[in-house]
Amino acid sequence: MTSNSANATETPSFESFHRRNPTVSKISQTLVMTALVGCGLFSLAITIGIIVMLATQSIGFFYNEEVAVNFWQFLTDSRWTIGQTQGVPRYGILPLVSGTLRITGIAMLISLPIGLTCAIYLAEYASPRVRSILKPVLEILAGIPTVVLGFFAIKFITPWLLQPLGDFKTFNAGSAGIAVGILCLPLVTSLAEDALRSVPNSLREGAYGLGSTRLEVTLKVVVPAALSGIISAFLLALSRAIGETMVVALAAGSTPTLTGDPRVPSQTMTGFIVETFQSESIEPDSIGYYSMYAVAAVLFLFTFSITLIGQLIRMRYREVYN
Amino acid sequence: MGQEQFYSTPRSEVKRKSKDQVFSVICMLIAGLVVVTLLTLLGSIIATGGSWLSWDFLFTEHLEDNPEQSGIGQAIVGSIVLCGLCALLALPVGIGTAILLEEFQPRNRILRWLHWLVQLNINNLAGVPSIVYGILGVTAFVYMFNWFPSITPNDPPSWEIGATHIYQVKTLGGQYIKFVCPDKNDPALRVTEPIEAFDDNGNNFMINVVESRSDQPDDPVLKNRTVLKGKLTSRYSEKAWYHLHLPFGKTVLSSGLTLALVILPIIIIASQEAIRSVPDSLREAALGMGATRWEAVRNVVLPAATPGFMTGAILAMSRAVGEAAPVLAVMGGVMGTTNGLTNLMDKSPVLPVLIYKWAGDENAGFENLSAAAIIVLLLMLLVMNSIAIWIRNRYEKKLGA
Repeated sequence: MTSNSANATETPSFESFHRRNPTVSKISQTLVMTALVGCGLFSLAITIGIIVMLATQSIGFFYNEEVAVNFWQFLTDSRWTIGQTQGVPRYGILPLVSGTLRITGIAMLISLPIGLTCAIYLAEYASPRVRSILKPVLEILAGIPTVVLGFFAIKFITPWLLQPLGDFKTFNAGSAGIAVGILCLPLVTSLAEDALRSVPNSLREGAYGLGSTRLEVTLKVVVPAALSGIISAFLLALSRAIGETMVVALAAGSTPTLTGDPRVPSQTMTGFIVETFQSESIEPDSIGYYSMYAVAAVLFLFTFSITLIGQLIRMRYREVYN
Repeated sequence: MGQEQFYSTPRSEVKRKSKDQVFSVICMLIAGLVVVTLLTLLGSIIATGGSWLSWDFLFTEHLEDNPEQSGIGQAIVGSIVLCGLCALLALPVGIGTAILLEEFQPRNRILRWLHWLVQLNINNLAGVPSIVYGILGVTAFVYMFNWFPSITPNDPPSWEIGATHIYQVKTLGGQYIKFVCPDKNDPALRVTEPIEAFDDNGNNFMINVVESRSDQPDDPVLKNRTVLKGKLTSRYSEKAWYHLHLPFGKTVLSSGLTLALVILPIIIIASQEAIRSVPDSLREAALGMGATRWEAVRNVVLPAATPGFMTGAILAMSRAVGEAAPVLAVMGGVMGTTNGLTNLMDKSPVLPVLIYKWAGDENAGFENLSAAAIIVLLLMLLVMNSIAIWIRNRYEKKLGA
């Protein structure tokens, strides 16, 4: 195999095909196919591995010799006290879910409208010159590691943007939400733009021919036609925001709170997992260790189902206009 | 014009047109906001960390109480090793899966269903949060599903190669002598019977064990080989570069394997794109000349798709370089090690984890260090992405010509 693509267009010499041994090619084809199928099954094995691991280890949380955690209590109790030393331990996941939903909500409020507007602008309005600026800017934003956005949230958004506006704590849901929103923005924009671009021009031309303005063509023809793609873009961004870890680990603090207030610290599911892993005090086989798997199982259920729905919507409706 | 007036009055037409204008302005404002956000992000980081960048910063290591002298030397090495490791592991599997999905279309219903399932699964894997991969890495690589007995942090691993555990014990002469013990599991061994030891020149001799101090020999050479019975030894380990143990524990190898899982879906999706962009005429020409499916793939499709594979691989690696959560889960928040990275069973700081730890540090100075490290990380990503774009532009033209 050569690595130079220039050779690809050269015809292999006649000799090499003429003299080959058909049995050898058959055997090598079988071997290669086995290896390739192995690769394909490996990716399935990862998913199965994740599900089996989360299921079996979560059992250690609910059927533990130390403390028997009631499944119902886990889902409905309003306090989460793992990692705290005093008081009666309470294992209700709601505060963590609340933290995740608060931050995800703020992130979606920012990234969905701005992302969709940017996508419409890029697909329908922007001149090539503006495009050549905005596209790379979005690509750079998309490539910025999440830990950098976490740094930005805690060192810039909180002290310079939010604290002048109100009584925001050092660690708060607001700054984390804004940073996660910035993170999701390029994702929404590029997926939604793809969806808008895949709408055939004949639809646009039909609407223009009837005397529509650009805005009417966009809002009444193109966006409805690309709706499935836009919704799947929203869903992928949503699952990305729920699973985001480093921003919330840095900016959202480590106190689980059950409230709607964006000004107070709010540990999320991902924040809790990363916090637990880091602390040396949590030993394998302890309740704190197993709680991580239970939280991860809930997190995985959230993101996996949202991604799956997004995928199915995209697969189901993708070929309608092609 | 006449027909248009039939549907809308001039007045409403002005209104509709102005709405379009207003929306266009809103779009431009929002696009401007996005650009301003990026500039603020980069500007605030450069303002915080720019002046802390220096040549020494790139080569020194983290110091707990001296931010002025701290640097990212170990973290850069760690990031590069980790990145190479995960690419090495993920590339073959990723490209293999892409070939399977793109070049070998299923022939019957069960296979077609399996094909659909694998494709759906890959897209879903790309959406799994990286911290979940981190947990998988901890379970599968660090503790290996608890298949191996006695996994607590201080126990020696169940199986290992490339490590020599050397015990040393103080003799009655006051010097230390060393010996290798076959039973490596006891960190605090007591000398009870004569054991073969060696000196600094590599000469072997037997340890002389005496019951009490009154039995000690007078000869100073012999005295330096004599140990009181029941004397406690201390243990240290010499590790070769190929040192390996099971389970892998909280090591660079575990992190590399975990990151390989994180970037696998990205590599598969990028490789599929690369294969899809090879024109069908090339395949058909090869098949028409009597090549088997695999021969056509190996001799024609793969060489033509290689630039695409490389671009995808680099982009996936740049994702891996910036990924902190799985590494943090697997290795813990390592900020520096005493010996640096000597084998795959060592721990090592990596850039994003160091940035995270520094950003969360309350002490003055670490905030600036964090920003300076971010600048280095962003520059690394810039270089990697530039290479990817260069490859794409260079080979796209060739294939098109």
